[in-house]
Amino acid sequence: MTQATDSLLPELARKLVETLGLDMSPESVDPNAPLIGAGLGIDSIDTLELVVMIDRDYGVKIDNRAAGVEAFASLAALANFIRERRPAASA
Amino acid sequence: MSLQPRAFVTGIGVLCAGAKNVAELRSLLAEPRRSFAPPTLFPCTGTSAGLPAAEIGALPTDSDVPRTHQLALLAAREAVGSGPAPDAIIVGTTTGGILRTEAALKAGSTSPEDYCFHGLDTVALSLAQAFGVHGPVMTISTACSSAAVALAVGHALLRSGLARRVLVGGADSLCRLTFHGFRSLQLLAPDGCRPLDVNRAGMTVAEGAGFLLLESAPSRPILAVLAGTGLSCDAYHASSPHPEGAGAALAIGRALDDAGISPSDVDYINLHGTGTTDNDAAEAKAVRQIFGKPLPPLSSTKGLTGHPLAAAGGIEAVIATIAIGEGLLPANTGLLALDPALQVVPVAGPTRAPVKTVLSNSFGFGGNNACVVLQAPTARAVATFDGSTRGLPALRVASAACFTAVGDLPQTWDALMRGASTVGFVPDAAFVTAVAATFARRLKRLPRLMLALAQTAHQASGATLPPGLIAVGTAWGALAETHDFLRKLFESNEQFSSPTDFIGSVHNAPAGQIALLLGAAGPNLTCAAGDRSFAQALLCASLGLAAGSSSALVIAAEAYESHFSPLFEPASQGGQASDGGAALVVLPDDGAPGPRLRWLGESAAPGPEFVDELELGSLRDRYDAILVSRPAGFASATDDTIARIAQRGCPLVTVRDRLGQHASVSATVVAILARAVTEGTLPLGESPLPLVRKRLLFLDLGARSTAVEVFA
Repeated sequence: MTQATDSLLPELARKLVETLGLDMSPESVDPNAPLIGAGLGIDSIDTLELVVMIDRDYGVKIDNRAAGVEAFASLAALANFIRERRPAASA
Repeated sequence: MSLQPRAFVTGIGVLCAGAKNVAELRSLLAEPRRSFAPPTLFPCTGTSAGLPAAEIGALPTDSDVPRTHQLALLAAREAVGSGPAPDAIIVGTTTGGILRTEAALKAGSTSPEDYCFHGLDTVALSLAQAFGVHGPVMTISTACSSAAVALAVGHALLRSGLARRVLVGGADSLCRLTFHGFRSLQLLAPDGCRPLDVNRAGMTVAEGAGFLLLESAPSRPILAVLAGTGLSCDAYHASSPHPEGAGAALAIGRALDDAGISPSDVDYINLHGTGTTDNDAAEAKAVRQIFGKPLPPLSSTKGLTGHPLAAAGGIEAVIATIAIGEGLLPANTGLLALDPALQVVPVAGPTRAPVKTVLSNSFGFGGNNACVVLQAPTARAVATFDGSTRGLPALRVASAACFTAVGDLPQTWDALMRGASTVGFVPDAAFVTAVAATFARRLKRLPRLMLALAQTAHQASGATLPPGLIAVGTAWGALAETHDFLRKLFESNEQFSSPTDFIGSVHNAPAGQIALLLGAAGPNLTCAAGDRSFAQALLCASLGLAAGSSSALVIAAEAYESHFSPLFEPASQGGQASDGGAALVVLPDDGAPGPRLRWLGESAAPGPEFVDELELGSLRDRYDAILVSRPAGFASATDDTIARIAQRGCPLVTVRDRLGQHASVSATVVAILARAVTEGTLPLGESPLPLVRKRLLFLDLGARSTAVEVFA
C-alpha cells in the first residue's frame, strides 16, 4: 500500500464532512460503518452530492444503483471503489 | 347555494417542443413525433455531451427580452387573440430571465442592467405591459406545478368576482440551472424520457409556454370550462414524491370535489408522467387509489413535449382543451415496454373518442401537487354569473412574527417605540436557534429565516393543527443557493453542479420545508412578484380561506446575498440594504378579539388614483394614518405621488426609512400594524402616534400599487 492510497481514507472523511456540512470531526467517521441512513443521517440528496464530488475530484462515476450500493457501503468501501476505478493519470 | 361565476376557457396559446402554436400542437398530437436533442442554448460538453433536452428552436419574434419572456408573450398573444385585454394575469414560472443571468455571470458582468430580467415578476409584467392589464399581475413559482397552481389561483380569482377575464398559464425556457440541476440529480434520461416504461430512466427537461384565457362572461366561443382545481402538499420530502402518492391522491380528490364530479365522470387523465422511476410509480398508485377499476383512458404527453417544468400545467391544460375540442385521446409517446408494476395501461396511439371531462396532473419539488379538471362546454348546463363584484372578507390575525436587524417582533417593536432604526440585516442569532440544527443542516439563510418565522408564528397562534394553507412571498427566492449552484458550475467549466443547491434554489423550497416542519398537507403557494410578493401571498390566502381552508400561514421574507442582491435589487444599492420578513397566521373572521386585515387591491394605477379606485370614502374619517412603502428604483413612488396622497388630509407615514429596503418589508409592516391597532399606538412616524379609529391603510407603491388595511 502506497502513501497516496493511505491518505485517501482521511481525505474522503474530510471531504464527506465538508461537502455535507456534517456537525462532526472527520476523525470521528467510522470507516466501516454504513454511510447512508442511520448514524450520519445521510440521505439520497447527500448521496448525489457525494456522487458529484467523487466524479469531479477523482474522475470516478457512480451512475447506477448497484454501483451506489457498493460505493456507499462504508467510507472504506468508498475508498476501495475509487482506488479500483480511478483513471491511471490521476491515481 | 350561491351562484359562482364559471371559468370559461375562451382562448388558448402554446409553444412546446415540436409546436409553435395551437394548430401545430393539434397536428403533433394527431401524429406524434419526438424532437429531443442536446441543447443548443448553452454549451454541453464533457459530462453532459449528447444528453437530450426538448428545445423549441428559433422563436418567431424579434423581441430582445429573455427567452422565457418571449415564450410567455407568444403563447399569451395567441390565447388573447384580438379579444379584449384581460383584467388580471397569473403566470407560473421558475426560471424567469435566468438564461440571461447565467450568461452575464459567466461573462463576469457586474452591471445591474445585465441582470434586470432576473426577477420572476418581469415575465408577468412584460405581459401586463403588452396587454395593458389593470388588475392583479401575479407570479406563482411552485416548481413543476407552477402553471397548474396558477390555474387554481386564476379560478379562485374569477370565482371571487375580483376579475372577469384572467390570463393564466406558465412559461419556462431551457437554461443551465434546470438542465444541469436535474442532471446532478441523475433524473435526465440518456435516450429521452419514456413515461410508464419498465426501463424508464428519467425525464427530458424541456421549455415552453401554455396560456389560457378564462372568462366569467364569455366574449367569444367557449372552448372548455375550467370546472375544478385541487391543491395539496406531500409534506414528505424536498424533491421526492410521497412513495404511495398520498399528496397526489389528495389533490386529485380535491379537484374532482371542486368540479362536483365523481371519478367515473373522467374521460381522460393527462398524467404528470415525467418518466422518472419515483414519479410514475407514485402517480400510478394515486390514480389507482382514486379511480379503482376500470381506469379511465390515460397518458403522459411528456414523451412528446419533454417536461417544460413551470409551463407543464399550462401546456397540458391546452392539450386537455384540444382533447375535448377534437375528441382525441393523446398517446403516451415514447413507451417501448410498459412497466407491469404500475398496473396502468396508457393510450398507445392517438385515439378518436368523445372527451367531455379531463383531469390534468402537475406535481413539483417540495411535494407540491396541483390538479385541474377541464370539461366540454356542453357537459353541464352553462350557469351564468350574476355579475356582482365582491371584495375579499377581512381576516383575523391570530399571531404575527417578524425579523429585522434588531431581532424579533417584540425587539423590533421596542426599537421603533424608542425611535431607533431597524434597518439592516437580521443577525444570525435571531433565527438560527429556532429550528433544530439536524432539520436545517442543508439549509441556507432564506429557508432558515422562513422556518424560524413559520415556527414562531405557528406556536404563537396556539393552533394544535397544522395551518390549512401556506402562502409564501419572496421576490428573489433563495439567492445564495442559486449563486452557489452557478458558481460551482462555472468553476468546473460547466461540468459539475450541486444537487443540494439546485433543490434549494427553487423559489418554493422554503415553503416545502415549512410544510415538512409543520406537517401541512394543504395548498402550498409561493408568490414571487417583486415588492408585491407579500400582498399576493395574502391574496392567495384570502382566496383559500374564502374557499374553505381553516387557517393560513402567510410569510414573506428576503435573504441578502452579497453577490446577487446588489446586482438584482435596486433597493439593495442604497444605504438601507436590509433583509428579513414576517409571518402571520390568519383565520376567517370568527368574531373573536384581535386585529383584522384585509387585502384591498392591486392596480396599475399610481397611488392617488389607486386610492380613488378602492372607493374607501373619506380617508380622514376612516383611517388614523396611511402607511406608504416606497421601493427604491421605482418612479411610481415619487415625492409628487406621496404629496398627492397626503393631500387627502390623513396623516401619512413612509415606512422603508425606518424598516429598511427589501422586497418583503411589506410583511414586516403589516405584522407591526397588527400590533399597533391592538396597542392603540403606531410607532412608525417621527413619534408614536395614538390611534383613535384603530384602522390603518398600507399602500405599497412599486411596479404596481397594492393596498392592505389593518384594523382592530
